[in-house]
Amino acid sequence: MTQLTHIDSNGQAHMVDVSLKQITTRVARASATVTMNQNTLDLILKGKHAKGDVLATARIAGIQAAKRTAELIPLCHPLMLSKVSVDLYEDTSLPGIRIESLCKLTGQTGVEMEALTAASVAALTLYDMCKAVDKTMIISDIRVNEKQGGKSGDWLYTDKQTSTTHETKDFEKNNIKVSDEINQDIKPIYVRFFAELRDHLKEDELTIQIEELMEKNFPLTIEGLSQYLKEKYSEMNTVLNRSGLMVAINHQVSEKKSPFSAGDEIAFFPPVTGG
Amino acid sequence: MFKINVQSEPFDAGKEIAQLTEGRTDIGAITSFIGLVRDFNERPEVKALTLEHYPGMTEHQLKKISQEAQSRWPLLGIRIIHRVGRLEPSDLIVLVIVASAHRQAAFDACNFIMDYLKTQAPFWKKEHTSSGDYWVSSRVSDTEAANRWRV
Repeated sequence: MTQLTHIDSNGQAHMVDVSLKQITTRVARASATVTMNQNTLDLILKGKHAKGDVLATARIAGIQAAKRTAELIPLCHPLMLSKVSVDLYEDTSLPGIRIESLCKLTGQTGVEMEALTAASVAALTLYDMCKAVDKTMIISDIRVNEKQGGKSGDWLYTDKQTSTTHETKDFEKNNIKVSDEINQDIKPIYVRFFAELRDHLKEDELTIQIEELMEKNFPLTIEGLSQYLKEKYSEMNTVLNRSGLMVAINHQVSEKKSPFSAGDEIAFFPPVTGG
Repeated sequence: MFKINVQSEPFDAGKEIAQLTEGRTDIGAITSFIGLVRDFNERPEVKALTLEHYPGMTEHQLKKISQEAQSRWPLLGIRIIHRVGRLEPSDLIVLVIVASAHRQAAFDACNFIMDYLKTQAPFWKKEHTSSGDYWVSSRVSDTEAANRWRV
């Protein structure tokens, strides 16, 4: 049984010292649902609600909340989040709204509390915006769906456990650490090369398994990826040391220190010469 | 507000201007820039060039550049067309049209868009000459031109 890290040897609550933890790219996804009357849902989706655009307001509220998690949860570290996204989807099976949040940073602590806070506050905001027309709304299923990065490895929520007396045991059994058994579920990254770089390598796209980088302790940043590529393929030295080399992650201009995550498309290219 | 195309087909600048101004009475100034293929660049006797781009990112960058221009000047419309694929000397490569109420904004924004396009939009030229093919190198003067707009 894992020790609770927020309780010290005297049983007192304390904030964990993370200064010796490795800096890695961490991602957490969480979700929540708000079940409501079909009429309330229709009102929200048609944008006819008296208080205005409910979904947009809830989304912004979730993003704002993620940034304030450290002020709300006593032992949470203040974090420099590099990305927060909150998406709201119609779920006709509820009926209601499903909220999905994602938080990301490169640092020494996980971001699941931020993702949970984002989903929770987005749900609360939905309730606030709609309570005048529907007081029976139910906020439920607030949970972490996925964690990436950090000491305890990658983790995915699997929807199999049943609420029996063996709950804890089932929970551990069904929520397998990705590194142990469902490795193939981590998406690779796609590395692309353009113009003279492609001509030099005679290759325009490589698929790289993230675990390979992690096993060899390369950080999940552009710099880490470059080092890994240079170590693995000698011809990469010329290409990745080219002066003025540019790089993009998912079409966004990026830098050496920029972190990436599973499924990202990373492109290396020489200085541009259009116009 | 802005329309961006990356295409292999040729374009007609006159038609594009007509389309941009059609039915509008608020536009007081239109500036446009057209870039053409030269027969002399890093080496003489350029027979043709091939323009490569990064589908998706190129359009994204051009949109970002347009948004930046729009935030700096009071603009009423932006039209960008950039061609890709094989082009020959005297072919038109790029078209930038900017509309505004007064000329200064249109002149400056058009200049700005071209400077940023040249240094931030992922396009690459390979020139085919009688002495062989080569990738065109970026110019320091283009970077310096773009740096003028830093705020």
